[in-house]
Amino acid sequence: MSRLHISDTGLFVAMGQPSNSRYQAVRRFARRNDITFVLPARVYEELTVDDPDVEEVPVNAAIDEGWATVAAPLKFSEPIVSRVMDGIQRYIANADDRPADEVERADAALAALASQELSAGAATEVYIYTTDIAAGEGAETVLASEGYGDSVTFVNGFRFIEDLVAGDS
Amino acid sequence: MSRTSNRADGDIVQDFLSVADLLEEPQLAQLYAYLAREREATVQDVMDDLELAQGTAYSYVNRLVDAGVVDVTDDEQPRRYAAREIDLTVTTAAGDREYTITPALIDAVGRRETDADIDTYIGRHGVAGLATALTYAVARERGEVTHRLMADDLDISPLAAEMILQALRPVVYEHYDIEAAGASLEELDIDDDVSADDA
Repeated sequence: MSRLHISDTGLFVAMGQPSNSRYQAVRRFARRNDITFVLPARVYEELTVDDPDVEEVPVNAAIDEGWATVAAPLKFSEPIVSRVMDGIQRYIANADDRPADEVERADAALAALASQELSAGAATEVYIYTTDIAAGEGAETVLASEGYGDSVTFVNGFRFIEDLVAGDS
Repeated sequence: MSRTSNRADGDIVQDFLSVADLLEEPQLAQLYAYLAREREATVQDVMDDLELAQGTAYSYVNRLVDAGVVDVTDDEQPRRYAAREIDLTVTTAAGDREYTITPALIDAVGRRETDADIDTYIGRHGVAGLATALTYAVARERGEVTHRLMADDLDISPLAAEMILQALRPVVYEHYDIEAAGASLEELDIDDDVSADDA
C-alpha cells in the first residue's frame, strides 16, 4: 500500500520559518513517518513568487532537507485528469456562485494530481493537505464520484499543524 | 448626552466618527477589541495585559469613553470599563452596496500592533483593503472561496492572499461561528510513532 501526501501552498505558509516550532514539528512528523510532501508545480510556483510584500517561504529548505518535492507536470492526456480538473472548478465555482471558467486551475491541481496517481496505481491512498476548505472538500467530493471516495482524505493544514505542535509539547 | 428611544441623527454621525477614529488608530482599536473580549476590565488590567504605561492606558481609555464606544460599568474605585457594541452599516447612495463595520474589523486593525503581516497589508492596501480581506477570510473558512480566487479578484499574488488570510484567521474564529472542516491528525490513520523520533 503506497501513500501519497500532496501539499497546498497554505501548509507551507502556516509552518513559518525553519526556526519556528511549527516548521520543526512538521519536519519531525515527515521524518519519523518517512513522508515526502509532494507539491504540484503550480503550488511550488506560488510559494516561490518574487513578491516584495511577503516574506519568503522556506519551501526550498524543505526540498533540500528531503521531505518535500515538486511533482512532474500533470498528464492532461489522461481523461481522468481533465475530468477531475473540470469537476473541481465546477465545485468551487458553485460554492461561491460564480462561473466555472473564473476558477483558478491551480485550485484543481491538487485533486488532479491525486486522480492521476490513483488511476495509474502509483498510489493507493492520498492525503491532501490544504488550508482552502473549498479545495479540500471539492477534492473529496469529485474523487468520490470517480470511485476513489475511500482513498482520499482532505487534511486541514491548520488543524494538522496545531495537533502536531500540541503533541510535541 | 441624552438618549431618546429613537436615536437622533447626530448620534449616528457621532458613532460613525468614533468608529473612524478607532480604525485610524491601531492602539485604540487594540484596546477596544481587548475590552470587548474581556467583557470588563480595570485600567490596571489594561496595563498588565497590553503592556501599556499607566499614563498611556488612562489616556486611551478616556478617549474611548469620550468617543462613546466604551462605558464605565462600575464607578467605584477601581473603575471598570466595558466596550459598547459597534454595529454600523454603511450604505452607498445608490443603495446597491453596503458594509457593516463590526468588532471583528476593529479587532483586525488592532492586531496591526502585534502582527507584521497585517501591518504590511494595511500599509499596502489601507484599512479599506483589510476590510475586504476580512470578508474573504470569513468566506474562506466557510469553504466558499479559496486564496487563489481572492488573489485573482484583487489582483495580488496568491502567496500574498494566503499570508493575509492566515493572519486574519484568528480574528475569524474569535468573532464568527465556524465549523471545523477536514481531517485532524488523529483521523489520518498514520501510525505516528513518536518514540522513533530522530530529532
